[in-house]
Amino acid sequence: MKGYIIKSLLQVIPVLLLVSLIVFILVRVTGDPVALMLPETATAEDRAVLTEALGLDQPLYKQYITFLGSALQGDFGTSFRYGESALPLVLERLPASFELAVAAMIFAIIMAIPLGILSAVKRNTFTDLLISGISVIGKAMPNFWMGIMLILFFSVMLGALPVSGRGGIEHLLLPAFTLGIGIGAQMTRLVRSSMLEILNQDYILTAKSKGLRPFIIIMKHAFRNGLIPVVTIVGLQFTSLIGGTLITETVFAWPGLGQLLVTAVNTHDMAIVQASVFVIALIVIIGNLLTDISYRLLDPRIRYS
Amino acid sequence: MKTKSWITSGLLLLVVAIVLAGCGSSKESSTDSATNSKTLTIGNATDIESFDPHNNNNTSSEAVLVNMFDYLVKNDNEQKKVPVLATSWEQVNDTTWRFKLREGVTFHNGDPFTAADVKYTIDRVAKDSALKQNSYFKSIKEVKVVDDYTIDMITDGPDPLLLNRLSKMGAGILPSKYIKEKGIDAFLKSPVGTGPYKFSKWTKDDRVELVKNDKYFGEAPKWDTVVFRSIPEASTRVSELLAGGIDIASGIPSTDVERIQSEEGKQIVKAPIQRVLQLILRETEGTVTADPKVREAIDFAIDKQGIVDSIAGGAGIVTRTSVTPGNFGADPSLYKQTLYDPAKAKQLLQESGHAGAELNMTVSSQYKEYAEVVAAMLNEAGFKANLEVLEPSAFSERYSSKSFKEIFMIGIGNSLFDASNNYNRYLKTEAAGETDYNNPKVEKLLQDALVNMDPASREKQYQEVQQILAEDRPAVYLFQMEGIYGADNRVKFTPRSDEMFYADDITSVNG
Repeated sequence: MKGYIIKSLLQVIPVLLLVSLIVFILVRVTGDPVALMLPETATAEDRAVLTEALGLDQPLYKQYITFLGSALQGDFGTSFRYGESALPLVLERLPASFELAVAAMIFAIIMAIPLGILSAVKRNTFTDLLISGISVIGKAMPNFWMGIMLILFFSVMLGALPVSGRGGIEHLLLPAFTLGIGIGAQMTRLVRSSMLEILNQDYILTAKSKGLRPFIIIMKHAFRNGLIPVVTIVGLQFTSLIGGTLITETVFAWPGLGQLLVTAVNTHDMAIVQASVFVIALIVIIGNLLTDISYRLLDPRIRYS
Repeated sequence: MKTKSWITSGLLLLVVAIVLAGCGSSKESSTDSATNSKTLTIGNATDIESFDPHNNNNTSSEAVLVNMFDYLVKNDNEQKKVPVLATSWEQVNDTTWRFKLREGVTFHNGDPFTAADVKYTIDRVAKDSALKQNSYFKSIKEVKVVDDYTIDMITDGPDPLLLNRLSKMGAGILPSKYIKEKGIDAFLKSPVGTGPYKFSKWTKDDRVELVKNDKYFGEAPKWDTVVFRSIPEASTRVSELLAGGIDIASGIPSTDVERIQSEEGKQIVKAPIQRVLQLILRETEGTVTADPKVREAIDFAIDKQGIVDSIAGGAGIVTRTSVTPGNFGADPSLYKQTLYDPAKAKQLLQESGHAGAELNMTVSSQYKEYAEVVAAMLNEAGFKANLEVLEPSAFSERYSSKSFKEIFMIGIGNSLFDASNNYNRYLKTEAAGETDYNNPKVEKLLQDALVNMDPASREKQYQEVQQILAEDRPAVYLFQMEGIYGADNRVKFTPRSDEMFYADDITSVNG
């Protein structure tokens, strides 16, 4: 196990290098930050002066070497927009994104596990059909539309919840629901199919013939084994939630990493784009590794190679 | 069995709710204080960039920072220069201005305001070319301290725009002692100015909170707290306004105007802003738009008033000049004027012999709807318009490399309130590669006006340029944009053409 973890961690290095190179090139070929930093009335000379002051007149390979050298020391450059060091700016957004991702995931799990089990146990009944219907709708609804509708109903019409921003738990409910429902829907279907498969296996039949109560069979014998695909999806979706909540964060004015990244892309804030993508890549890699390890723990049949 | 499984899930739910409550409730309750009349909350589409007034270049930053930092002089509601930290000024000679400074002013940290602060501030923004406001201040050679409350400002050459420069964001006066002792990073974390409101807190992409400065030298601040929320999504801003979470929402889409107006207790307020939407036409030899008749045909083909009424929801004023009232050099005879005659456009195009000519028009995605209508109107007139819509950053790349084809559509603002800012692009050296516009008469007038220290004759020069440009058409102006705000009736708010939010100009109806 130890060897496996070390090996996996070593593989992270070339991946991150590749990510840094791709992002570095992409942010430089897609637009000119200087034009966005100056007013439309700036003269060609104004632009040249600022380009030089920011070091953007250097050849690309030189810029990359400089970038890589500093990045190794945790310095991703200075944000054009904020005039501050990029990495701390990115890291200070993580708690907000993390909070939202955890809440969304909890919501998804609360929704998926009972519904998925119920759906499997009552397969091909009206209940099953209803749950499947709900999860298809949940998955199909676009986040931004869902968010706007929730705001209109709960905040504007009922006045029950705040519209946007980050604060207490009341601020968390709508964005967590918006973000969680799609994953919850996906997970419901996964729990259902996974449970169905297990409920048809011989050892469940044995348990039934021993006269165990159905509740015990489902929760103790079937559910634990049915958990593996759920763990996988929780792990994979959770990492993508942290970096990938752009739309929900924008709709709810949630000050997380997603909003930072969107603004940075729009304003061509290279240092922030590079630092955020790097941090997100790292989170995804570590998240996947943890997922890997955890379902190996859940299922001893999976061996490390 | 059934009941038991539901009890289990119920318990699980309860546990999760407790956990959630635990991670959320540690934060202080939000300050959306619709009920507290002493807090003003404004919702903007974008957050400020930083508390460094020298290294910011967006209007929404300036709109916030004007409450914390003072200038030597500022623009009043009609863009007239009024004293703030300077009490009087005089022009000693063509390149020297003398300013008398206000005595008894202190920064928020208690440091007294003196000539040293002015010197530090202006020297910094004029010398450091990495600062975003630097380009506006390069003409200032140095600031000489005469005594604690008198300074001389020396410009490189005659600079008729000095007061305009000193009344914009990059001239926000910084505390020299504080920054020299603690460094600029410490200043940015805990900024101090001399303005009516003090820094309290900034959560990026969420909110800026300012509190009143009891020691302000001017009239006592009206609000205890001023909150600037950053809410990027327009429909969310509208919802916040309707739900009472904010007092003022900026950037209301024209499609939401009716909804806000029909709501009791809410209103829409509008004001023309500095931005003029326009088509800039290339006159490089060999392009169809080099032909004056083609440019005239383009002008006549576009129904500007129709575009204002339909797409802008009425929020726009048609114009044949980009120098709108309130700007130095404005020519009122071209304002609120427009040309539209589709038959004449067709005829002009026939005469030019370019019927069916291709017009490549590039636009940034934010103005996509406008460009689509313009393209349709050009096609109607007999052109073959090819529309290219780019993301803002890709558009800016093309903009700075001057690689647009016949036409690009752009909204251009003017933060200096002076015609020179609109017209520098038609100087021969600046136009090279972009429009390739070249009119020796315009060149002469523009060059003279740049260093003309006599306001009366300078104004005439710009008005003459305007008349020539209206006929030459290196640009076809569509309309001056208007800022649309939603406001709660509990505040009295008159928007400004410079889009600033001076908190003390916004009053609470309840007193």
